[in-house]
Amino acid sequence: MKITRRTFLAGAGAAAATVAAPLKPAQAAISENSYATLIDLTLCDGCKDLSQPACVDSCRQGNADKFPKPDPKHIRDYWPQKKHEDWSKKKHLTNRLTPYNWIFVDTLEVEGRTLSVPRRCMHCDNPACVKLCPFGINHKTPEGPVWIDPNLCFGGAKCRTVCPWSVPQRQAGVGVYTLWESFMPVGGGVMYKCDLCRKRLARGDNPHCVDSCPKKAMLIGKRKEIFAEAEKRAAATGGHLYGMEENGGTSTIYVSPVPFEAIDKAILARAEKIKAKAPKGKKLPKPMRMHKPENMLAKQTEWAAASVIAPALGALAAFVATTKKEEK
Amino acid sequence: MSSLTVVRHSLTVRLTHWTIALSGILLLFSGFGQMPMYKRYNVVKIPGLGWSDQYDITLMLHYFGAIFFCAAVIFHIVYHIRRKEYAIMPKTGDIGVSITGFKAMFGMAEEPLHAKFQAKQRVIYAIIGAVCLILVGTGVIKSYKNLGDIILQPMFLEAMTMLHTAFGMLFMALFIAHVAALTLKDHRPLVPSMFTGNIDRKYAEEHLPEWKID
Repeated sequence: MKITRRTFLAGAGAAAATVAAPLKPAQAAISENSYATLIDLTLCDGCKDLSQPACVDSCRQGNADKFPKPDPKHIRDYWPQKKHEDWSKKKHLTNRLTPYNWIFVDTLEVEGRTLSVPRRCMHCDNPACVKLCPFGINHKTPEGPVWIDPNLCFGGAKCRTVCPWSVPQRQAGVGVYTLWESFMPVGGGVMYKCDLCRKRLARGDNPHCVDSCPKKAMLIGKRKEIFAEAEKRAAATGGHLYGMEENGGTSTIYVSPVPFEAIDKAILARAEKIKAKAPKGKKLPKPMRMHKPENMLAKQTEWAAASVIAPALGALAAFVATTKKEEK
Repeated sequence: MSSLTVVRHSLTVRLTHWTIALSGILLLFSGFGQMPMYKRYNVVKIPGLGWSDQYDITLMLHYFGAIFFCAAVIFHIVYHIRRKEYAIMPKTGDIGVSITGFKAMFGMAEEPLHAKFQAKQRVIYAIIGAVCLILVGTGVIKSYKNLGDIILQPMFLEAMTMLHTAFGMLFMALFIAHVAALTLKDHRPLVPSMFTGNIDRKYAEEHLPEWKID
């Protein structure tokens, strides 16, 4: 092709447009019609009259078929480490997230009140757990739920590390890695967490936790409506909101009569007390906080954008280099 | 009197090559760092690498490497297409000649006569090039979805991610094979050209007789 000033300018213009286009702020792709949930802490009392909260009980019963069924002979240490994660003998635990318990109710004393705070996956809008899974088997659906495919998960637990609330929990001795575990020490099990009962949602049913709540402290609906309802309730009671901004936005909105800073402080203070009482050197679980985490991916958006436009920059540079040659 | 060396690679070609090679090394290291490996396999215990299990650091390094890698790969393609330089593109019959060439590497056959590039170099170039293009394509998609609340179809993203990871492994294998091939005695005279641009004229005349040297 003969290079003329006109073709050079046209090519340079096209390349520059390609470069500039992605620099626009990324469009939020969370549909207003996707699902969101509301958890109203002014209503939740932790089912104090029951042996365990109804949401926890119904989740455990309703999702029992999805819980891990590890083969004991595959439960081995994660070579070269001398440890593994096996919850199969601690299925009864309901006071924290485990592969067998996808929701728990945290009871806290905050500003003279007893608060019951149901905790589970927040189903983030820009979930690092999904976007950084090296095998892409952690999914964010356009409908809202974040779910892990247990058939393909290796159990590397990166999703837990990058989750600000450390939600996914690992069970050893189950999953695809058991196929090669005996000769190749890669993988550690499968990660488990709440999937917002996505199959029930697809059928038009509510998640188990929402349906079972006797106080109607949990609601599910279209994102726009749930956000509006949460704001309405917070405005009416002088309450506080959590989940709209945290980690770049989530699909789980809490309404609380007390500030979330105070709740987080109470969570940390309790963790400190537990630590003080625990034997020295004992590894304790990370407290599931109610802080204001910044989205890990959002911190590096400029770098991501630069890598997206890099091919166009390369093409532009080649165009310039070869055009100069022609002009000479 | 003719020079004792001949120019095999221009400065542009060498700069492109080394940009791809060095960014490729960074991408491999940071890419493996994006898998939960370095803590488990005690890489973090190697002095100076205590940070290597920090996903935010390895992710930024991966973006940094990707900027140079993607730009250099596309630069290379566009640059040579526009200059109509196709000497390294595979030709008909290259696979058969390559097999003989591979046998020759291990003393099992006579090295065939070549032009500027050996037949097996052209075949390997096409393979590495295709792998690089797949890595660039899938990598750009993976970076794009990190720009904000961008939700790609889950199965599409899964396929792109798996492809990227699998081809990253393949790239590492090809990278190692490429470097290993340069250690073979017959190939060593080609190595200086990646630094200086020149190779020995006598070697070129004997081993690359079909190359029309300017």
